[in-house]
Amino acid sequence: MYYKCRSCGGNVVYSPEKRGMYCPFCDSRETGERTEGLTGDLAICPNCGGQVPVQIHTSAAQCPYCDSYLIFNERVEGEYTPRMIIPFQMGKEACKKSLREKFRRCLFAPTDFLSEARLDSMQGIYVPYWFYDYQTDCSFQGEGTKIKVWRSGDKEYTETSVYAIGRRMSIEFEKIPVDASEQMPDDVMELIAPFQYGQMADFDPKFMSGFWGEKYNMTWDVVENRARTMMNQDAAKLLRESYGGYSTVKTLHQDIQVRDSGAVYGLLPVWKYIYSYKGQEYPFYVNGQTGKIVGTAPFSSGKFWAYVGTLWGSLTVILALLQVMLGLL
Amino acid sequence: MDNDYKKEARRQYLHYFRFWFLGIGLAAVACVALWAVKQTRGSAPRANNEAPTERVFDYGEVLTPQEEEALREQIARMEEKIQADIVLMTISQPVEGREAMEQYGLRWEDWERNMQDIADDFWDQNRFGYNKGYEGDGILLLYNWYQGQKGEVLSTSGKVERALSTYDIEEIFDAVDARHDRDPFKAYEAYVDKVGDLLEDSLQIPFGWGMVIFLPIGVAAMYAAAGASQKKADNTVAVNAYVSGGKPEFHDRTDVFLRKSVVTRRIAASTGGGGRSSANHGGGGHHHSSSGASHGGGSRRH
Repeated sequence: MYYKCRSCGGNVVYSPEKRGMYCPFCDSRETGERTEGLTGDLAICPNCGGQVPVQIHTSAAQCPYCDSYLIFNERVEGEYTPRMIIPFQMGKEACKKSLREKFRRCLFAPTDFLSEARLDSMQGIYVPYWFYDYQTDCSFQGEGTKIKVWRSGDKEYTETSVYAIGRRMSIEFEKIPVDASEQMPDDVMELIAPFQYGQMADFDPKFMSGFWGEKYNMTWDVVENRARTMMNQDAAKLLRESYGGYSTVKTLHQDIQVRDSGAVYGLLPVWKYIYSYKGQEYPFYVNGQTGKIVGTAPFSSGKFWAYVGTLWGSLTVILALLQVMLGLL
Repeated sequence: MDNDYKKEARRQYLHYFRFWFLGIGLAAVACVALWAVKQTRGSAPRANNEAPTERVFDYGEVLTPQEEEALREQIARMEEKIQADIVLMTISQPVEGREAMEQYGLRWEDWERNMQDIADDFWDQNRFGYNKGYEGDGILLLYNWYQGQKGEVLSTSGKVERALSTYDIEEIFDAVDARHDRDPFKAYEAYVDKVGDLLEDSLQIPFGWGMVIFLPIGVAAMYAAAGASQKKADNTVAVNAYVSGGKPEFHDRTDVFLRKSVVTRRIAASTGGGGRSSANHGGGGHHHSSSGASHGGGSRRH
């Protein structure tokens, strides 16, 4: 499917800035009409009939011939219907600004790294995520000490008090996100969090018009161990926080039990920018909702030596001139 | 397109280092101006022609002729630099007790006052002083090598008296004493250097040419490390980010006191302390010589 403008016939896209459907051809708003292809073949553009390269997990893409944004029905429906989606809150221009702001102090990055031409290649992608809910019962038993030190005359006293610590709590974890995309690096998807769930909406394919997308590559049970690890780490941290204030704590028993669990499928917005430099790719990911950036700037050795060398030379010359100057005084 | 990026890279480079290049330009102009001023003015000529030209009086005979010559040259260079006379005098004679008083015509029985008198009188009688022959600018070190009465005194005069504090005088003694047992020549070299350092103190940056070479290397290395090190991003997910209501629900929270123990330790009394007792300003050891001239200085007996 794709969204066609009722006024001009152009491709209508979802605009994060305007928070709604927008036709970039005639500037009209909310004039998009869902239009299906005639053949049902994913690889044929329903607008121009051109051949569209479709990867195995792609659920939304852009036609290379007519630039229309296409959404592949069978990959957003049925078993692949996302239960929720956070629509892009940040447009491409805001994302470019954010990248420029973050990397403007990276002196050793190649000059064209943040150029308009390069940044224009950035793609907005809806990344498939599984969201896990866990209802847990956590308990802790341990021995804690509190140490008090004081002085009187020429003596120092150290008092050590020992306590038996007991904690029992229920923690309800909601929507722990784990990406279900093979092409997205796991560490990056963890760093790009958090997403604000307050802006989560029921899925509607119109949000995908104007962006790229993927269906889940792996089922919920395949990636669940990552969610369980996060849940266990957070539960252990919350237990630790509950007995803060002791000088030392010895754990005698700790238990985190899952009473109930569930997983739902949803899509989260991520901007992806790949910069190629001297045969190497430098990927950058920007949270399409909060603007958080994950990635390191490329490194130009020419710039590095020019700047470091100039700094060294300048400092040497200034100090030498200072020495000479003071010698003349 | 490539040319545009190269042009942009050049613009960024010049913009980034503009203050550095400006600083270098200004410093170079200042150097040239100072050099020109110095060429036209030159240093103040020596105004006192009454004093002898000799500066090394080795009556204690601890220096070789070559060492004396080396010291004379070093003193001459330093005198021109600091515009003050620097005199060195060694003796090897008793300066303490009634016998010494009678034999050498000394005024006192004690070592310290006699040593100070000898130094001050030698200065006054020879009419030392860079600018004038009475209370002129300069310093004299008297070192007595007589067995059992070893030690040194300093007699300062004029601007040197005003400039050197008691602490500075102690610093000169420290510089001399660090070497005098092993090599008297090195000890007197250190005396001349230290006097130069102290009188030029306000005009020097606190490091030499070695640091001019190595400091920028260190700074450049730190700059390179800071610019090259990067982190993908920080983990900003709060521990309770995915917890419903933001916090756990407690069912049990007990802290039961079990036992207590107390350990006692005796605190060792602290020793030392104090610090510099003398104020760090000039005029250290002010007194008057037998001729009535104002002097500064101090003494240290071994």
